[in-house]
Amino acid sequence: MKKLWDRLFLEERPAIGLSLFRMVVAFTVWSVVFPSLVHLKELYFHGSFRELNGNFFPIWFLELVQKSPDGLVTAFVALFHISVFTLFIGLFSQVSCIAVTLCCYYFYALNAFHVSTLSWDILLVTMFLMCVTGYHGDYFSVDCLRRKGEKPWERTRPFFVQRLLQLQIGFTFFYTALYKVSAQGNWLTDNPLFYVLNYPAPGVTKMFLLRDIIRTMPNLVYWSGIFIVIVELSIIFFLFLRPTRMAAVYLGIFFQALLFLTLDVPATFFFMFPAMLLLFIDPNEILTWIQKRQRIHQSSDRPMLLFDGSCGFCKWSVEALKKMDLFSILEYKNVYDYLDSGKNLPAGLTSDHVLKRMYLVENGTDAYGGYIVFRRICWHMPMMYLLIPIIFFPGMGIVGPLLYDLVAKNRKCLIKSP
Amino acid sequence: MMKKLRNKFITVFVIFWCLAFHYESVRHFYLEPLFGRPLPKIKFLFPPAGWIMFYQVDKAYGYIRIFGMKEDQSYEIDPHEVFRVRTIGFDNIHRGVINAAASQRNSRAFCQHLRKRFKDFDDFKILYTYYPDFIAEPYARYQQLLYGCGG
Repeated sequence: MKKLWDRLFLEERPAIGLSLFRMVVAFTVWSVVFPSLVHLKELYFHGSFRELNGNFFPIWFLELVQKSPDGLVTAFVALFHISVFTLFIGLFSQVSCIAVTLCCYYFYALNAFHVSTLSWDILLVTMFLMCVTGYHGDYFSVDCLRRKGEKPWERTRPFFVQRLLQLQIGFTFFYTALYKVSAQGNWLTDNPLFYVLNYPAPGVTKMFLLRDIIRTMPNLVYWSGIFIVIVELSIIFFLFLRPTRMAAVYLGIFFQALLFLTLDVPATFFFMFPAMLLLFIDPNEILTWIQKRQRIHQSSDRPMLLFDGSCGFCKWSVEALKKMDLFSILEYKNVYDYLDSGKNLPAGLTSDHVLKRMYLVENGTDAYGGYIVFRRICWHMPMMYLLIPIIFFPGMGIVGPLLYDLVAKNRKCLIKSP
Repeated sequence: MMKKLRNKFITVFVIFWCLAFHYESVRHFYLEPLFGRPLPKIKFLFPPAGWIMFYQVDKAYGYIRIFGMKEDQSYEIDPHEVFRVRTIGFDNIHRGVINAAASQRNSRAFCQHLRKRFKDFDDFKILYTYYPDFIAEPYARYQQLLYGCGG
């Protein structure tokens, strides 16, 4: 029993999956809260139309929040924008998560009207679990660049947060189905899906392809409903059984996509649930896959990054790049290894070149210097994917090299070499 | 030593969390009928009645329509203009958000909101359109004036 408990919750595994999930959570929260902040005056300022959720909050808390002056609301808006961004990029991950969650609670207590849905309650439960530890800042984060240690993706942590998130989604499916066939649910005795599909306008069904054909087939719709209930009831077991796990993950993702395409229900399900289902992939398996790819790259002829090893800022940047280089795409070479030993630099480069800017040498012959290096490597490093739109933004072909040269010229003043 | 203590904390947390999660999942629809009385809800977390979504749908359907009145003429107001929050990936109005806002219990606050939002109108009428059985009689619908806001 103790062994099983340890394996389920206490065993240490990498938190790389949880780190990626952190970004999804930040985006999902933003996608729900941000639209409501566009019309602050209409929704949250003094005298606005409000709905209070006395079921969720104790009355004293609602009364306290309702006393907020507009200035405090504005301060919370600013805090929300900052903290949701820092959570997304993984800067002070745990503190950011707590700040975002507090903001969510504040806006929910101030006016539940637009956010109060089942999906919002699910999101808050998820946020609460994410606040418990800072494990989600272990990778895909600024935090991992700030911390010492070479391979942040290999850092292991107790598995309990990820396990509880797995249980949360599994049981959410399970209970959703249970209510459909027991309590007051009528999915066995009636044809609710057929009714939903045939709702008069405005209705809750989107105008999806084939809708007009499907809505005329009550039998097909009834058995589809029964199939949905069976899947929802059993998916938790399939998710926890290793042989059926991936099929269940795909099925769950397909189900969420179907929901998003056919019904006007909050997109939270579509944004968050697929990522939550992917938490069922064992992080040790992800790590094994990463290490396999690293070995393949390390044994092949890799592009070489030449950097100035006498400059503290360059060394710090290379350390950061190494952490971002999840698949060991690059080989990092200090130019002084060549200069001190009198060896020729590759691709016809001279000391003048390499001491001015960093160079990327591909196939041993093609050299790219300065800002272009970022444009070449950003496609190969998952942590840089989000920077691609900035690196290639129109005009960055001119501004980027100028900025790069400015930093390169002053690099020795930025961080002192030890 | 530290690791042992940490694991103890985790164990206690996991047990409490699982108990709370399952208690709130079954409290409203299973435990309360079983005990025959309302049971305490854990505040600040979990939905009021468990994880229910489209669990009970029948053949009746209704929605709210809002009319602005000006010089004895009535103009139907697009509900998307009543609350201008543009949700991402779905339409909040189709989800029936206006029905809750315009309900009788909210009439005062809702009228106040309409007056602020649409200053040009003299009055507002809130109508409820109701289909008792849209499967058997898809065109049989009834309209009921819920309330007017007064000039």
